[in-house]
Amino acid sequence: MSIDPLLRVESLCVSYASLNGNVPALRDVSFSVARGEALALVGESGSGKSTVALAILGLLGSEATVGGGRILYAGADLARLPAEELGRLRGNRLSTVFQDPFATLNPSMPIGMQVAEPLMRHKAMPRQEALARAVAALAEVGLSRPAELAKAYPHQLSGGMQQRVLIASALICEPDLIILDEPTTALDVTIEAQILDLLDTLRRRRNLAMLFITHNLGVVNRICDRTCVLYAGSVLEEGPKDLTLHRPLHPYTQGLLRAVPQLGPRRRARLRPIPGHLPEAGMLPKGCVFHPRCSHALGECREDEQLLRPLEGGMVRCWRADSLPRAEDGGATAVDAHAAPTRNVLLDVQDLRKTYALGRKIRFGGPHLVRVERSEVRAVDGVSLTIRAGEVLGLAGESGSGKSTLGRCLVRLIQTSGGMIRFDGEDVTDAGGAALHEFRRDVQIVFQNPASSLNPRRRVGATIGRSLDLLGNIPRQDRQPRIDALLEAVGLPAHFANRFPHQLSGGERQRVSIARALASNPKFIVCDEPVSALDVSVQATVLNLLADLRDRLQLAYLFISHDLSAVAHIADRIAVMYAGAICEEGPTDAVLSRPNHPYTEALLSAVPTVNDATKEDSRIRLRDGANASSHTPTGCRFHPRCPRKIGPICEQKVPPVVSPSEGHWISCHLPVEELSLPAADVKNREMA
Amino acid sequence: MVSALVEPRPARRKWRLPVTLLVGLAITGVILVLAILAPVIAPYPFDGMNILTRLKPPSAAHWFGTDDFGRDVLSRTLIGARLSLLMGFGATFISFAIGVPLGLLSGYASRTVDEMIMRAMDVLMSFPPILLGLLILTVTPPSIWKAMVAVGIVYVPAIVRLTRSVTLEIAQEEFIQAARARDDDLLYILFREILPNAWPPLIVEAGLRVTFAILLGAAFSFLGMGAQPPSSDWGLMISDARPYLEAAPWVALAPGLAMSLTVIGINLLGDGLRMALDPRLQAGKSG
Repeated sequence: MSIDPLLRVESLCVSYASLNGNVPALRDVSFSVARGEALALVGESGSGKSTVALAILGLLGSEATVGGGRILYAGADLARLPAEELGRLRGNRLSTVFQDPFATLNPSMPIGMQVAEPLMRHKAMPRQEALARAVAALAEVGLSRPAELAKAYPHQLSGGMQQRVLIASALICEPDLIILDEPTTALDVTIEAQILDLLDTLRRRRNLAMLFITHNLGVVNRICDRTCVLYAGSVLEEGPKDLTLHRPLHPYTQGLLRAVPQLGPRRRARLRPIPGHLPEAGMLPKGCVFHPRCSHALGECREDEQLLRPLEGGMVRCWRADSLPRAEDGGATAVDAHAAPTRNVLLDVQDLRKTYALGRKIRFGGPHLVRVERSEVRAVDGVSLTIRAGEVLGLAGESGSGKSTLGRCLVRLIQTSGGMIRFDGEDVTDAGGAALHEFRRDVQIVFQNPASSLNPRRRVGATIGRSLDLLGNIPRQDRQPRIDALLEAVGLPAHFANRFPHQLSGGERQRVSIARALASNPKFIVCDEPVSALDVSVQATVLNLLADLRDRLQLAYLFISHDLSAVAHIADRIAVMYAGAICEEGPTDAVLSRPNHPYTEALLSAVPTVNDATKEDSRIRLRDGANASSHTPTGCRFHPRCPRKIGPICEQKVPPVVSPSEGHWISCHLPVEELSLPAADVKNREMA
Repeated sequence: MVSALVEPRPARRKWRLPVTLLVGLAITGVILVLAILAPVIAPYPFDGMNILTRLKPPSAAHWFGTDDFGRDVLSRTLIGARLSLLMGFGATFISFAIGVPLGLLSGYASRTVDEMIMRAMDVLMSFPPILLGLLILTVTPPSIWKAMVAVGIVYVPAIVRLTRSVTLEIAQEEFIQAARARDDDLLYILFREILPNAWPPLIVEAGLRVTFAILLGAAFSFLGMGAQPPSSDWGLMISDARPYLEAAPWVALAPGLAMSLTVIGINLLGDGLRMALDPRLQAGKSG
């Protein structure tokens, strides 16, 4: 690396004011980014990674105080620069892209103006010239028809396109450094893959330095050179990507890597989560910040805090780094005894449909002069599936594919528009009254958002107790013991019954949601993205809990997630959903390997993983499916985005179902032999 | 007992009351006490006329001066607080008792029910408030409790709309879906799951409504449909003092200031209650 790095953060300390006094958010954080280098700042929520970004940009709020340290940009101390100098730097030499594109773009200003704005402000460029440059910039970030797009408003663009616009806007002044704060977290995997590709290309082309803030280690592997691991406001480890991701120095990094579910064939195994949770703000432990959760901690770890010291080409803050076992091992451990799914079909769904009316439009003209057109969205369009007792069916797909609608139809929270649901041999499609009450006892649901799934004004015990009262069928004196038992079953102490949701962490709330679902002794639970909102280490414990409960109570799950790794980890079978229909279904191992539906293939190819060594050209990238759900295409639903599209047949005829193996089916016009070959090979063969 | 079972209770915060609440409580409390004790502490009878001391400015004998009938303004203001406050709180109670259940139902129940309730509210709202009140009052001989009902009904649509919009938002929360998934009944979901979460904006609104109700009540009094002379009501007093605004401003000023103070006090009380009742705001404060 060059002697004088572009950005250098030296012993930065930031604290936030609160009623309990000053709470440290960053403690002695140091790192540097050289010209053209991509540094990943990795950490879970609450680690302080966004505070770093805000400190560099000078956007810390009034409640934050910088307690020490310096931020040097190209050798100049940002804190000492006069305000106008700083203003010239920000958005010009130093720019940023935030997580949520929709919240960042101004909804009432055309795209082109938003991209051109920095040019007019920083370079004093005339409006017309700036707009012309903006159009060129939109083209550079891979947006088609940039001139038209420049006149569009943000709501007319899909999430992926919005993020491209933000990147174009961040790059328009040709900055040296770009700070990316979780730029792909709000996007679907296929879109995320495109954005990462784009960032990678731009970086190479422009010799751009990047500070990439993320919680996703797979993304780090995909795009960064070096990694800096942040935990509770301290840098625990820093070093080249390969070192951190494959032979991590710090027990925390090792734990993180182990906790990530892998896309591998390890059925019915358990993940190895990091025990405990992040220390609460202002309650940092003495000694090493990580020692309460560290299995290697010794006496010295509890007493003194250590400095960041060099080891094997990286830097680490750990007393025991030299003597730690460094053998790289996979993410999950096998469990010896587990209950296999039984043969009896529990849930049988035939041709399920759910349409939503969008509204009516009055059209004038035509033979009837006035015609009322009804438009509708087919959120779920002819789905058939079965789930056996004790079986986990994974439902994967991107946002808007209808996964959640399907899940809610299955638990009868949404009335279906057509088709049939049979549960335990009984038709429950239109069940009401006593029959529906019985059904509710057997079928429950766990929601995604731990912040909204519990009533903030009721204690945990009251929430679980109400489910017991309605569905539990137990005598009054057993109520309290049963609440305690349910809490214990999800790994929470009994006194949590007295807590309010805001006194719990995200993972704890999700456990309470699971306990509530278990209150009626259900046979089947729909898990609607139960781990998506959780940090990696917490995610692992919740996944393990779900797996344990399944084995112990013979539960069946429909496990809905956009995260293929999580689905692959827990599911016995996987169904892949696209635009309201299932395009491939089969045993987990079969779905994870060839032959695949082209959509599944693209999804698998897009997931960034820590061990990904795929070559650049063999990656499959899908085009952006703008508003894919608003009108269902004829023929194959996937044809507008399909990289393997054959021709007109895909647009006209609904594809047949092909079955490469027992229980595995794919809905595609391509023959199985063709689907078994990698897409790149097919392309090459055509060219030859 | 095993030591591990002793609950490490979540650190109980000291119950800190927001300053806003304390100030609001103090002002409203003092006014309430004065209103209740008015007959005892008033220096003169509120309807005791004295032609000789007409429109006298504030003095040691008459702190707030006298009005055009020579009545003591202080005594009338103290007694007037009773009717004005009764009008304010009573009418608000009536509009909440009708409006909140309707709003909850409208925001949560089916579209048809929602449409029926909201269209009915549109009809109610399309009448100018005074006209609607007069409509209710003219049928029967005027009296203070009828004016209260009239003011209450005038404000029902506003309460329904507010409750509905809050309910619509809360109904999207996953814990409401969870309640449906356990087959809970409608009334429980409305009043036990949604309502406790809807209180904060409703309480603030209640503060505003009390003050509006006092004002509208005063307007009815002015029109001869509410408080009947010679009984005293702040609105009535201000109306009566209108011809003498230049010659004897104190006659209107005393009830006016009393009304402003009441309005401020009740608004602070509403804001403070919202802060104290919301556990999330409590949590946010002490981080």
